[in-house]
Amino acid sequence: MSAPAAVTRKHRHRVEASTWILLSPWILALLFFGVYPFGFSFVLSFFDYSPLAPDAARFLGFGNYAEALRDPLFWKALGNTLLFVFGTIPFTTGLALLLALALDGAFRGRDLYRAGFFLPTVVSVVVISLVWKGLYSPEGPLSWLVRAFGFTPPQWLLNEHTALPSIMAMDVWAASGYYMIIFLAGLKGIPVDLYEAAALEGATRMQRFRHITLPLLAPTFLFVLIVNSIRSLQIFTEVFVMTRGGPLQSTLTSVFYLYEQAFYKFRLGYASSIAYLLFALTLVLAWLQVKWLKLEGPKS
Amino acid sequence: MIRSPRLQLLFAALAIATLAVAGCGGGGGKGSGGRTVVIFWQFFPTEQVQPVLDEFMKQNPDIEVRMEQLTWQSGLEKITASVAAGNAPDLCELGSTWFPRFASQGALADWSDSAAALEAELTGWDMARVGGRTYGLPWLVGTRALFWNKELFARARVDTTRGPATWAELTDAARRVNALGDGVAGWGANAGERYVLFKKVMPFAWGAGGALLTPDGKASAFDSPANVEGVTQYLALAKLGRVDRQEQIDDAFLAGKVGATISGSWLLRKAPKQAPALRYGVSLIPPPALDRGKSASFLGGELLVSFSRSKNQAAAWRLARFLASKEASLAVARVNQAVQPAAVGAIDDPFYASDPHQRALLEQLASAVPTPNHPAWLDMESAIEDEVEKALYGKQTAAQAVAAASAKIDVLAKAAPAP
Repeated sequence: MSAPAAVTRKHRHRVEASTWILLSPWILALLFFGVYPFGFSFVLSFFDYSPLAPDAARFLGFGNYAEALRDPLFWKALGNTLLFVFGTIPFTTGLALLLALALDGAFRGRDLYRAGFFLPTVVSVVVISLVWKGLYSPEGPLSWLVRAFGFTPPQWLLNEHTALPSIMAMDVWAASGYYMIIFLAGLKGIPVDLYEAAALEGATRMQRFRHITLPLLAPTFLFVLIVNSIRSLQIFTEVFVMTRGGPLQSTLTSVFYLYEQAFYKFRLGYASSIAYLLFALTLVLAWLQVKWLKLEGPKS
Repeated sequence: MIRSPRLQLLFAALAIATLAVAGCGGGGGKGSGGRTVVIFWQFFPTEQVQPVLDEFMKQNPDIEVRMEQLTWQSGLEKITASVAAGNAPDLCELGSTWFPRFASQGALADWSDSAAALEAELTGWDMARVGGRTYGLPWLVGTRALFWNKELFARARVDTTRGPATWAELTDAARRVNALGDGVAGWGANAGERYVLFKKVMPFAWGAGGALLTPDGKASAFDSPANVEGVTQYLALAKLGRVDRQEQIDDAFLAGKVGATISGSWLLRKAPKQAPALRYGVSLIPPPALDRGKSASFLGGELLVSFSRSKNQAAAWRLARFLASKEASLAVARVNQAVQPAAVGAIDDPFYASDPHQRALLEQLASAVPTPNHPAWLDMESAIEDEVEKALYGKQTAAQAVAAASAKIDVLAKAAPAP
């Protein structure tokens, strides 16, 4: 009785050791590039800290946080970020779901379409931003199109009212393909016999979508919403490449603002406190999404 | 075979640690053949600088220069991170507007004693000094001047034998060109990006006699009638053309769609490639009137600095001295064509005598104004840009913009007094 148990324990032990070894490159990378900066920036957020004079760091307590909450630009940036999040997610999610439904069936060239819509995901955001910057330029095709219809095109990225929406439109285009793939995977997970049974009972296409597809896609929805919220709250590269926060701070987002604070004004402590405020907001938002959708993720 | 799982773990950890250490090492110290290695970071294309470095190594066989080219997109971050990590290069090119923050935080090596001997050889020392101490060598300098399209001026019946000589002439020229229609803009005004608009508005403000800070650097001197006048003039010009980013204005100018704009010598290098047929003039940014004010522009510069944490400061100084010399800086300026040497006497080089456009920029350099070496300078620059941009978008008047910017500058000046 005792011998096999010991063998099992020993066996399990060895499996664990080799598992750790095999995982170690990833774990070490996570520790060095994830956990350590995460903790370090938390400590920094309580200090007045310049990377140029690390020895002159000064403990401020919650001073940085208090300053951020009083800083009108922090609120402006947060407002723009939330506008971006709530302005893109419904469209990205809706478009992704529509694409997934359209490309779920079998037809000629289906894989080509799937690959095409997914393509922006594998292209660098910098490249996409540069291309769209060209599309939006006064001599660009979009302005030409507007002019062809007899209207005067705005200077998309230089008008305070159109700059952020222009970046949002690009983001919807660029991000939908990725969530389409996730929705497609979700659709694949719905048992076919449910549809067959419903069809036998005389359920219409719409009824089947409403009562089978949507409820069973709920965990996928939750995943898409949370992942997309986290990603959108961190919008940075597009702004960095296309507008640098301008004009009139109409595209100043939280991460771009903290980047400016950290690397142009050398206020690493203050930048870290903004990062942690954003982190707190992300947590709250994710928690609300889970709560509202009354879900705890996919059940096995 | 190692049987013990613990030993296996230990070995794996050791192997990874060794790899990590090997990857991090290699900086500083001795190079091949016992030569002192100088790590040099700079922003010019490698092929423009390497020949000069090769020459230096020929003359100084005991030094090996390892050069790395930074990009304007990420260079400042890289320098900052390296200083923070204690991995700073031995010698580094630093933009003059970045300089005060590095200098005021004690990050730069103090060159006051050794630089004193070069006093008469270089110009632009103000850019390299904070609180009476010298923390860098002026290497290359650059300014902005008035670029105007001769063809558009001719079509709009504006004198094309010389550039506009007063604000009134400039405004008139912009108005006439703007009236040509067909997507042609009389003037190209800047907006929508940082650290550009300032350099375009201030020539007018400085020209009218405006200032940024009080002479002691402890308070704002920005709220003055002269600055309001300068900003008003810029806003008037902006109404006679298009508002855009620098790159777009430059492209539009080269495409023959902009009558006049303030730009820099980088446009001289772009023009022959992008618009070989374009006929254009480069002249001084005009003063308010012939009998009032002066021509002025922004003085920017590239400084050579070493950091207080750099490993080979002595060798770095030797390289800096060599690079800043007239011959070496001219060699870079000639191939780059977008900068001028800070060395005294470089203007007499045949290269400048033969090119009227380069000549005009050099002339403008004589009346170019450096920005104050205040630790909070970049914030002050942003304050001016934010407020002037608001006026440019019709949210406030020139006077309101100047007053609001001045209030912000005053707070910054008092919060971190100049050393």
